[in-house]
Amino acid sequence: MKVQSPKSKIQSLRFGVGFFLLLILTICAAALLGSERLSFFDLNEQQQTILFDIRLPRILLGACVGASLALAGASLQSLLRNPLAEPYLLGVSNGAALGTMLAFVFFTQFEAARPIMAFGGASLATFVVYQMAKSRAGMNVERLVLSGVIVTTFLSSIIVLLTSLLDAAKLRSFTFWLLGDLSQATKSGFYLSFAAVIIGTIILMQCARALNLMMIGERDAFDFGVEIGRVRLTVFAASSLLVGTAVAASGSVGYVGLIVPHLVRLAIGSDNRLVIPFSALAGAIFVVLADTVARTAIAPRELPVGAITALIGAPLFIYLLRKS
Amino acid sequence: MEKTTRQFFFASLHLFEKNLLFLLVFVCLLANCRTETVNPPINLPIREITDDLGRTVKLPETVDRAVSLAPNLTEIVFAVGAGDKLVGRTSYDNFPPEAQKIQTVGDTMNPNIENIIALKPQVVLVSTASQIETFTRQLESQNIAVFVTNPNSLDDIYKSIHQIGEIFGKTEKAREIVEGLSKRVAEVESEINKAKNIKVFLQISKEPLFTIGEDSFLTDLIARTGGVSVTANVATAYPKLSKETAFVLNPDVIILSESEDNLEPNDVFKNSPAVKNGKVFKINADIISRPSPRIVDALEQIARHLQK
Repeated sequence: MKVQSPKSKIQSLRFGVGFFLLLILTICAAALLGSERLSFFDLNEQQQTILFDIRLPRILLGACVGASLALAGASLQSLLRNPLAEPYLLGVSNGAALGTMLAFVFFTQFEAARPIMAFGGASLATFVVYQMAKSRAGMNVERLVLSGVIVTTFLSSIIVLLTSLLDAAKLRSFTFWLLGDLSQATKSGFYLSFAAVIIGTIILMQCARALNLMMIGERDAFDFGVEIGRVRLTVFAASSLLVGTAVAASGSVGYVGLIVPHLVRLAIGSDNRLVIPFSALAGAIFVVLADTVARTAIAPRELPVGAITALIGAPLFIYLLRKS
Repeated sequence: MEKTTRQFFFASLHLFEKNLLFLLVFVCLLANCRTETVNPPINLPIREITDDLGRTVKLPETVDRAVSLAPNLTEIVFAVGAGDKLVGRTSYDNFPPEAQKIQTVGDTMNPNIENIIALKPQVVLVSTASQIETFTRQLESQNIAVFVTNPNSLDDIYKSIHQIGEIFGKTEKAREIVEGLSKRVAEVESEINKAKNIKVFLQISKEPLFTIGEDSFLTDLIARTGGVSVTANVATAYPKLSKETAFVLNPDVIILSESEDNLEPNDVFKNSPAVKNGKVFKINADIISRPSPRIVDALEQIARHLQK
């Protein structure tokens, strides 16, 4: 994997401003659309509540979830030198989902337990996949993806088992949630996710240079003075934090961590100092768009956002795979 | 990066093809193993009844072994006095208490086909469940009739009672039950003030927010008690509703189908007249969600709440 330096600082700055404006534009456009029509020049009290208490928290939470998943995907792909590394495929999302479910079953009243246990589940899944993929000869790509698939399916079967044991009423809310659903967005949920995105971005940006070197090869990175073990641990912890909060807020929204970093690299090359922040912005845009479709396509009914991201993500991924 | 991607892609494709081939061979072998056992037709002559999907269901003259795959159907079977003919039920079927002595064959969404076949029923009673296609074909190849009910209104529930009465040769008893129920409904209707048109929101689940739509029999039930469901025009029977839309509905009364995750109205109703005036009522989920004779209990309860 080649580390391309940006053609010039000005150009990357221009890209950054462009992406940021695009995100703002997307959020504004999403705020205009919804199952209820709002007359924006003359909002009455009821419409204000719809906009500020229902629609915007959901849009902003969607943006944070998208950013989190794309950040985790981008950094894991560089760290593991594997274009297929993605929270959903590696079992990290399922680990977080299982954690959230256990919190829901055992600490129903204690809402703060959900993101904490989601983080725990995500960390544990990451650790297990990494241990399974590691061999004496180092890490190989097929092994990693296979371990991811195994852990994912194993965790899904536990989730299915749990939902079967729960009674029918709870089952319904879980099956919807497992597909990725942003309808339960609250302001506090948004604040928590936003904090995680900021912390995650800062941590990962600190690792960006080291990740660039590690993409060439761990051996070379070591020779350049990169503390490989520490970088690895930091990236795993940061991505578990990001995926944990995202999943606790919205269930498993798939394909974001896979598609978004790929598209970003196609646009600006593979320098992580750019890929990481731009993935966050692009991930936010992608999920906000997908959720706008989920909210409006069959209004006043709703679709789960995860179904939309997968619907767009899977074909797009196959296209990218064939093109490369 | 590109190289590894492609390598991986082809490697996995190859693996997939290999496995697929193996799977195909395995499936073919299995298919060959299956000998075509044609059960001798039992209990001729055959009668024909049309079910709610418009299918013509062939039944033996007398039915004395049946499996019910929905709690409301089990209730109807017991109500018409054919409870002793039931040999299988789902894990949800808890009423009447005698029903719990019957063997379970899984739940409504995941019935165990082997269990059902082993019980040798002549007919399986189904409420519009998913996977009905494959399910029906499998059972019919074993000479087991599948009868589907899909009530969308109170009259449809009466129809289900008549149909099940007919299946078990209890038409007289079924007619009595329906007469009794319609009398109670007529009584409710005579007492209420239909012109009131109280705006009712029926909440099935709090998070995510599920409610009743145009195809639900509960929409009809609310209309008969002097209310109007604020989601009567939403497509499908049990839609997941946008919170924005829910927020502007402003119901006067909220009815909760009482279950563990549905004990209070969703937060979007905080400022609705229903919550402000304390007009939030719970009705046991088993009674309100099952299109069985007990639905008239639910109707009476709704009417009482609306007239308060």
